[in-house]
Amino acid sequence: MRPFLFSKSSAINQALAKKNNTTQYIAGGTNLVDLMKKNIAEPESLVDITSTLSAKIEPTAKGLQIGAMVRNTALANDATVMAKFPLVSKAILAGASPQIRNMASTGGNLLQRTRCPYFYDVTTPCNKRKPDSGCSAIHGENRMNAIVGYSEQCVAVHPSDLCVALAALDATVKTQDKSGKTQSIAFKGFHRLPGTTPEKDNNLPANALIHSIELTENSFAKNCAYVKVRDRDSYAFALVSVAAALNLKGNQIVEARLASGGVAHKPWRWFEAEQFLKGKTANAANFEAAANIAIKGLKPLSHNGFKVLMLKGAIETALQQCLNP
Amino acid sequence: MGFFDEPYDLPTAADGRVEGVAKVTGGGKYAAEYKVDGLCHAVLVGSTIAAGKIKSFNLDNAKQVAGVLGIITHLEKPLVPGLADEAKIKEARLGLAVFHTDKIFFKGQPIALVIADTLEDATYAASLVTAEYEKEPAKLDFELALKNIQLTPAGKDRGNIEALNSAPHSVEAEYNIKAEVHNPMEMHATIAEWKADDKLKLFDKNQGVNNVQRTFAKLFNIPVDNIEVISEFVGGGFGSGLRVWPHALACIMAAKLVKRPVKLMLTRPQMFHSVGYRPAAWQKIKLGANADGKFVGIHHQAKNGTSVYENFNEGITRVTRLIYHFNNLKAEAATVPLNLSTPTWMRGPGDCTGDFAIESAIDELSYKLKMDPVALRMKNLALEKHPDNGLPWSTNYINECIEKGAQMINWKDRKATHSQTIEGDWSIGYGMAVGAWNAGRGTASAGIQMQKDGTITVQTAMTDIGTGTGISMQNIAHESTGISKSKIKIELGNSNLPPAPSQGGSNGLSSIGGAVVAAVSALKLKIAEYATMQNEAFKNAAAADILLSDTGVSFKTTNNHFISYTSLWEKNNLNILEVEASSGPGAERQKFAFCSSAAHFCKVRVNRKTGKVKIERLVTVSDGGKIISEKAAANQMSGAAVGGIGMALMEEQLTDERLGTLVGNDFAGYHFPVNADAPIIEVAFINKPDPNINPQGSKGLGEVGIIGTAAAIANAIYNATGKRLRDLPITPDKVLLA
Ligand SMILES: Cc1cc2nc3c(=O)[nH]c(=O)nc-3n(C[C@H](O)[C@H](O)[C@H](O)COP(=O)(O)OP(=O)(O)OC[C@H]3O[C@@H](n4cnc5c(N)ncnc54)[C@H](O)[C@@H]3O)c2cc1C
Ligand code: SF4
Repeated sequence: MRPFLFSKSSAINQALAKKNNTTQYIAGGTNLVDLMKKNIAEPESLVDITSTLSAKIEPTAKGLQIGAMVRNTALANDATVMAKFPLVSKAILAGASPQIRNMASTGGNLLQRTRCPYFYDVTTPCNKRKPDSGCSAIHGENRMNAIVGYSEQCVAVHPSDLCVALAALDATVKTQDKSGKTQSIAFKGFHRLPGTTPEKDNNLPANALIHSIELTENSFAKNCAYVKVRDRDSYAFALVSVAAALNLKGNQIVEARLASGGVAHKPWRWFEAEQFLKGKTANAANFEAAANIAIKGLKPLSHNGFKVLMLKGAIETALQQCLNP
Repeated sequence: MGFFDEPYDLPTAADGRVEGVAKVTGGGKYAAEYKVDGLCHAVLVGSTIAAGKIKSFNLDNAKQVAGVLGIITHLEKPLVPGLADEAKIKEARLGLAVFHTDKIFFKGQPIALVIADTLEDATYAASLVTAEYEKEPAKLDFELALKNIQLTPAGKDRGNIEALNSAPHSVEAEYNIKAEVHNPMEMHATIAEWKADDKLKLFDKNQGVNNVQRTFAKLFNIPVDNIEVISEFVGGGFGSGLRVWPHALACIMAAKLVKRPVKLMLTRPQMFHSVGYRPAAWQKIKLGANADGKFVGIHHQAKNGTSVYENFNEGITRVTRLIYHFNNLKAEAATVPLNLSTPTWMRGPGDCTGDFAIESAIDELSYKLKMDPVALRMKNLALEKHPDNGLPWSTNYINECIEKGAQMINWKDRKATHSQTIEGDWSIGYGMAVGAWNAGRGTASAGIQMQKDGTITVQTAMTDIGTGTGISMQNIAHESTGISKSKIKIELGNSNLPPAPSQGGSNGLSSIGGAVVAAVSALKLKIAEYATMQNEAFKNAAAADILLSDTGVSFKTTNNHFISYTSLWEKNNLNILEVEASSGPGAERQKFAFCSSAAHFCKVRVNRKTGKVKIERLVTVSDGGKIISEKAAANQMSGAAVGGIGMALMEEQLTDERLGTLVGNDFAGYHFPVNADAPIIEVAFINKPDPNINPQGSKGLGEVGIIGTAAAIANAIYNATGKRLRDLPITPDKVLLA
């Protein structure tokens, strides 16, 4: 690890003022410290933002505002979140380990980097780590990698579970940049596809902070589920995951939400399948049909063909679980 | 007494481990945790290519880091007399002669060592060391490479394997197992301090201090007694500490170079290529039976990966000769050199791998025969004598293990055909398998020191790697002296203590138990000698006639001539009574064969939509002779069973076949099971003493807990789904695609 300077900021302006391209914010540190230990991130200085940003979950006119420093554990166990946005709680609890969730912040969770094994091994080519060095995964051990939305430059997946739920619920990311300008970015536009710039994970403006996440009240609280298929049952990233939510009237689907982790460079929404479910009866046959729509046209890599079948099963399972949450 | 730098008393929890409280309160010190004055830190730099030669180094950037004290490479290094020239390097048989070659055999191979005042500086400077290489093509694809390797006989054939061709029922199949890594919780570490030019002190993580001592005495050409090795607490080994690895030598070289004590602790990623692993294996089995289920014979072929600089044959077909009657048997094996580090023994080495194939094939055969797999095994067990060397078993209760296990899991609930029990998306099934291990014993020594107040300290150099050696020594000492456990202290894991073999191969307790019994006899005789001066009755007493208690000694007769330790000590002007004795195997080894065994039963649920396997119940019944410490033994068995779940369902070390990189070499990438993956393991013992193996009648248990577990799980998956999965680990993708 490269030696670095460390400072704490208690005011947002102060933290923003310190930030430049050789500086990094540090929140829980559960991802950044690992990246520094492996010489992937080599900041000259760190700005500790744990006392800069809000750690509160507060009601707003339309729903809820989650401060960027709310720890994953606090978010998952919050009474309002559990009552009104249980999908968020379920997704968080399917991720990492209790110790990591105690440290991990909401903002940091959005900005955690891919777990593609080559990204973590500085002796291998990786476009995301070192632009134009090549992608080791595309013809390598890519069992954990993408099946949709990837490019020749990068086939990594976004590792977060929380983000899959936030994507399904159309959350908004509130940011503030160095000039003091705040911005609200719709969740589906926050993370990026790799395209020709895989080094960029998201559309957070340069040097900006994530200030908070906003959730709007919805009718999905009663019937939602998070299914995560993984090699071991805790402390493992998803092979595929599915966040499903149904707004039901009797057994008719008024509206459906379906999103996945472990399939793409960003939390992935299955819009066509959602559209199909709208107005349909909530039953196994329709769930299967929706799953079949989702897996249509997916392009698995050399070692992850199984993800297509697994995704189909996980979507069916998640939709079924929505009926008995 | 001062055996250790910082002595502390180990309080004992009620019927817990002697070292338990120290471990859970942080009082126990692991190798890297000792405080040594003037300590500095060393960090290894690994090769970034998998095969070739080092052309040159760039050390300039690293040298500029403040606090850097020195850098070792093959070009600049302190003299290691035992590696002074090519001939000596060969003779040393060290495997990788670290810093004594410009050749690169695997990615991550240490090419340089940076020593600095602080760990931070050493780590940073190490990241700045670069090298130029002359690359050569690397052999990394095990499946491809094994095709060009010829098999050779592994032991003598039995009967004629052609008989298999006319067997009315047979199974022929191939089995593949991916490499697995031990990954004990404690990372390997060494602190080396040269006390004088020819005197070395080491705090080191290993499974055998005397082995470490001997190795370095030879390499540095100094007397064995000039090297002190301390490994009092070992945070797991699983076989990774049975060899002396390059990093320990590197640390000692560093201490020589900077003339200060040096600590070197491997990082978790370095653990994956520095201390061995269970090699990838390919197997082919042909198994035949008559219509009544009697086995006709077996043809077992096996190949395992090894490194290009050393040959490691895992002995996969050894177990083929151990459990069943096969009148016709042919075993063949080969190793496949790869540009990876050398593999080594890992819990249940060889047998665990071979047993998976055999026990899977037997299960498959049972369905063809329409016979219960329990009945099929019972019919073919070699219960009277070792099928290979013909010696009668001293004891072998594998049949009882099977019976008890079947009862515990309610085997009668199992359906005779597959896919019969469905609950929603889940299919439920039962499977079983057995395992066995040649039960060994080595020669070990133990010492006892007795104080005036009747407290005794029982000592050995043997390490306790979590095996429960310490608590078992206490139990044996208690039973053979009659002295309360609270008055028995245990000291181990130090080369100054009476010598003992390494803790491995399930031989630890089998070896040290006899030594403790022998030391107790010596103590009794010594006490009797002093007692004779006070009371003629003790003259010529045999050890068995002498009774010790918390307060004194007496004679096994009607008026038992009690003498208190206090008066004995005072009359004879004694300070500490010290005895030492050794014990080892003898003529019984020519008369009998010895084995430990286990039966594993499993109930699984398999999700048809996601491929996920959940283990609902796992029952392990074993024959380890007399159980000396029930808790510690049960802990061994459940730990091994969880290891078996890992082998069956998730552990695999993938290698990138183009780059030589170990893919995902950390705890996020390499999956071993956590609590969520394992039910409470149901453990039971037959608990009948073996009268011949050693004085206490206990056979080792460490290995059999994992031998057969993976097959029991795979067989249960078949019973649940009709999917016969012969490649480990059985991750959800394999279940889905089968
Ligand atoms: C072994 C392991 C297993 C894991 N398993 C899972 C899992 O299964 N599912 C899952 O979802 N996650 C998992 N995680 C990831 C974990 O959730 C993230 O590491 C965590 O959420 C990151 O939060 P942090 O506060 O620690 O971020 P940090 O490490 O502090 O920061 C991460 C990045 O975000 C930036 N940053 C942080 N906060 C802000 C902010 N407010 N504004 C701007 N920039 C900011 C930092 O500069 C840094 O670049 C796992 C992590 C580990 C180590
Ligand atoms: S998939 Fe992306 S992160 Fe992985 S090696 Fe390729 S470029 Fe790097």
